[in-house]
Amino acid sequence: MSDLSENILPATQNRTLSQRLTWLVDHLKREWQIYVMLLPVIIWFIVFLYKPMYGLQVAFKDYSIFRGVAGSPWIGFEHFETLIYSDQFGRALRNTFMISMLSLCFGFPVPIFLALMFNEITHHVFKRTAQTIVYLPHFISTVIIAGIVITAFSPSAGIVNMVLGWFGVEPIYFLIKPEWFRPIFIGSGIWQEAGFSSIVFLAAIAGVNPSLYESAVIDGASRWQMMWKITLPSILPTIIIMLIIRIGNLLEVGFELIILLYQPATFETADVINTFIYRQGIQGAQYDLAAAAGLFNAVIAFILVMTANTIARRYSNTSLW
Amino acid sequence: MANMNLYSRGDKVFVRLNMVLITVFALLTLYPFIYIAAVSFSNGSAAAAGTVFWRPIGLTISAYDYVISEPLFWSSYKNTFIYTFGGTFVSMLIIVPGAYALSKPQLLGRRYFNLFVAFTMWFNAGLIPFFLNMRDLGLMDSYFGLIIAFACNAFNIILLRNFFEAIPKSFEEAARMDGANEFQVLWKVYLPLSKPALATIILFCMVARWNGFFWAMVLLKDEQKIPVQVYLRQVIATLSDDEEFGQSLLNQGYSVETVTAAIMVCSIIPVLIFYPFIQKYFNKGIMLGGVKE
Amino acid sequence: MRKSTILAAALLSTSMTAPAFADGHLRIVDEPVEFTVHLHNKRYHYDSNWPVEQKARQDTNVHLIGATFGTNTPSSQEAHNLMLASGDIPHIVGGDKIKDMVNEYGPQGAFVPLNDLIAEHAPNIKAFFDKYPEKMAAVSSFDGNLYYIPYLPDGKYGRAYWMRRDWLDAVGMDVPSDVNELYEVLTAFRNQDPNGNGLKDEVPFFARQWPEVLRLVTLWGGRSSGSDTYHDFLIDDGRIAHGYAGEGYREGIKNIHKWYEEGLIDAEVFTRGSSAREFLLSENLGGMTHDWFASTSGYNPKLKDKIPGFNLEVIVPPASISGKRIAEHRRIPVKPDGWAISHTNPDPVTTIKYFDYYFTEEGRRAANFGIEGTHYDMVDGKPIFKKEFMEAGPVNSQLYQVGSQVQRGYFQDFGYEIQWTNPSAVKGIELYDAGDYLIDQFLGVAFNEEEQGVYDKNWSQIRTYMLEKQQAWILGGGIEAEWDDYMATLDKMGFNDVLAAMQSAYDRQYGG
Repeated sequence: MSDLSENILPATQNRTLSQRLTWLVDHLKREWQIYVMLLPVIIWFIVFLYKPMYGLQVAFKDYSIFRGVAGSPWIGFEHFETLIYSDQFGRALRNTFMISMLSLCFGFPVPIFLALMFNEITHHVFKRTAQTIVYLPHFISTVIIAGIVITAFSPSAGIVNMVLGWFGVEPIYFLIKPEWFRPIFIGSGIWQEAGFSSIVFLAAIAGVNPSLYESAVIDGASRWQMMWKITLPSILPTIIIMLIIRIGNLLEVGFELIILLYQPATFETADVINTFIYRQGIQGAQYDLAAAAGLFNAVIAFILVMTANTIARRYSNTSLW
Repeated sequence: MANMNLYSRGDKVFVRLNMVLITVFALLTLYPFIYIAAVSFSNGSAAAAGTVFWRPIGLTISAYDYVISEPLFWSSYKNTFIYTFGGTFVSMLIIVPGAYALSKPQLLGRRYFNLFVAFTMWFNAGLIPFFLNMRDLGLMDSYFGLIIAFACNAFNIILLRNFFEAIPKSFEEAARMDGANEFQVLWKVYLPLSKPALATIILFCMVARWNGFFWAMVLLKDEQKIPVQVYLRQVIATLSDDEEFGQSLLNQGYSVETVTAAIMVCSIIPVLIFYPFIQKYFNKGIMLGGVKE
Repeated sequence: MRKSTILAAALLSTSMTAPAFADGHLRIVDEPVEFTVHLHNKRYHYDSNWPVEQKARQDTNVHLIGATFGTNTPSSQEAHNLMLASGDIPHIVGGDKIKDMVNEYGPQGAFVPLNDLIAEHAPNIKAFFDKYPEKMAAVSSFDGNLYYIPYLPDGKYGRAYWMRRDWLDAVGMDVPSDVNELYEVLTAFRNQDPNGNGLKDEVPFFARQWPEVLRLVTLWGGRSSGSDTYHDFLIDDGRIAHGYAGEGYREGIKNIHKWYEEGLIDAEVFTRGSSAREFLLSENLGGMTHDWFASTSGYNPKLKDKIPGFNLEVIVPPASISGKRIAEHRRIPVKPDGWAISHTNPDPVTTIKYFDYYFTEEGRRAANFGIEGTHYDMVDGKPIFKKEFMEAGPVNSQLYQVGSQVQRGYFQDFGYEIQWTNPSAVKGIELYDAGDYLIDQFLGVAFNEEEQGVYDKNWSQIRTYMLEKQQAWILGGGIEAEWDDYMATLDKMGFNDVLAAMQSAYDRQYGG
């Protein structure tokens, strides 16, 4: 590849220890600046994020705030058993995956398409105004968003039923019907976040070399073709990274919005892991149970991410690590 | 690139359809803001009854009156600026060199450093250990504490690293032939070429700080140091009706709904004002404006 | 603005009426003693400048220094937990919902058991608990100790049935006296257009919180909850039971479904939320509800111009099918709020004597009414708020700023509330008082570890199942057909084990 490759650690199976050490010292003498630039980040992560990680033990303890982590007794996997052997946990897990997958299929592409569509707008003022507007719901609190959604779908005053009424359809009480919960929830999520999420892709598109477009125009390509053959491939690394991260968030599904929108009648499709835990922990600050659930989520998510990351590394040049 | 005469007929349909779809989406996403603006100018009873939809009912500025006359609002507003700008500045100081270093193929153990960073996106210590850590570091109740403790996150680092990796090596090689060291390469080559990426990360840092409230609530003791989002939550707590006693404020023309909406509007306005400044970096061709080689 | 004038006036008046060493009968120590105090509530935290605190200092010579943790967060739970986690526990800990915390960590040594201290050094508190032993039992921990002095509300009534008298007149009917008449009245509300606009838009029965609809099961002999928390257990003659597993509930839900189908109950009651009352009353759509005395009574004066003839009044609970009239909801007489002595306290004896001060006549008055001469005057031996004070704004909010009605451990005096309660609420309360409709209340149990395990493992899921079935039955019917399966499923889920655990805790706590 480039001539910087001599700085990359070569295959060292046949070298002796002193040869490797010499190589290492030379490397550090040459590349010390990079390590200096890396140092603040590493120190920050150690001091603020890794140092407190002993707290993860709490998932395996009967945690008492008063006694502290060290003073609380071990109980092994008891919290995990409490979680997993609950009948309703299976349902919560299933719903979590279902909502996540649907959200991934429908929600993940929307910001990308939005960015691509913005890219095709030639009218400057329209483009800038629209771009500023679409991310606004991100700044509006979830409580307000939920209130708007509930009103919009209300059988008596809601706009959705009003429009349905024009087509002669009887009013539907959407929010107590399990079959409607997921579409409404995912739709609300897209509405709230798609605009803000498209910013990453806008930035990626802005980094594409314009001369690529110029040559394509000369070759007679249409805008549509240019979008598929130039823009999309150029932002593919960003898409892959965002996708991997998104897969890692498969078990996190907008807890606050679900609490505000769900009803016992829709628990069947709406109850997810985090809401299940929330109800479980209502009788007090059960940090240990919440920690166990968090760890459970984290381990599964991490396995998913590792898988996605390995696949990405094999088939493309982009990966999280 | 905007010579529409070169567009085929298919292209022109495509462009028009595009604009229609964007317009629809923009109207849908504009609605929540219009809604809270309307609520903020409405009479308290109407807001409590939920009869406000898109225009104010019982037009009044009593909510804004309440908000503006409270000195704590202004000090919290000032603090939000401090945390946002100060925080973003410190964040960039740490994140930019770090992401650059992580993007270099010659970094030994690069994969492990990346994993070290990414791991924290899923595994975190929990509320109480994080809190105790802050206490042990002596960072409670201080501007510096809040700024430094939330300076980095893995997502931003990975994103910036990804953008850096996309910059063609030819630019760097050209600079090296002129004898540049790593700091100079970063400063003179990468940064000018990464304007959209930097704009994005700066935006994300600023938005996170602007909206953040949880740790500010917990770590700050002095009420003069709280940001506006914390003030908002305190107002909600103070104004919400005591169920049992039923002494409501509806007689004063404002209600917890209208005051909350007014504070929210006040916190969104600066975003609307500042965003266009960042927006121009999302235009194409910025890269060419950088290094000429 | 007002805060500082009242403060100034208070300081001025106390310095004028109280010479340097007062009559001293309330003095606890000769030399001033200081204690740090964490008292957290979402609206306030302990302020050493409170006039009531100043008066307490004058009277007792004990000074409390405010050291509340988490003053910037409205979440008291968080504030308490982080205070505990930080290890810097002030000498006195109090505020919103401290009961679970002190009862869990008291036995671990974080808080001082108060039983002996009360018996030996706090005569007024002792007298109170001798008179109401069940109140002390209700908040004790599973090891039998009392770890905090609770805030003891004095008002009895919480929510009542309210009905539109003007609509009754419009349909020519009387206040319903039993469940069948109620059905007829609600049907008339629905069909006979009492709001006179020609549309069938009336919502005969509505509620701000949908579990209030469940109160109607009492009309068929069922129960919805035994405490002021929704979906809670109840106590029936010393036995723990749950309303959602009772025969009366079965009959009740069956009928609620029928009423719901017929449009007598708000079709959107589950999602309408807290704006329901405001909206449905001010739009002249609501006919009857079950809601708080105090806040609902404010609608008559408020809407009298907008809706001519508007008259929402308290009605007595209609008689059930067995002829009983029940007001299921009432305020709990002993709250999970109050204050406790932490293990860091250097002098628990003086502290408990200080806690006792608020159970003396003077201390109790200060905790309830504020400062004599500033906020109230003694008229015929009764404290009466000054007129300017009551008109300056919501009385409670003003009292919080003075240090009264805050969540220390004290015995409230309903006399403070009745003075500014809306007359129609007062009338309603008297109506309910006269009929004696209140029933026994479930005040909670304190589990030991084994019982807690059974409860934690099973209850949350059981309750979820109960609520899912409940909502499904109200919306779609079918309770008759599914009842046996439902009861069998409950048993399989461990419901009877949970009941047994609660009964064991109850017997131990309240002496069987």
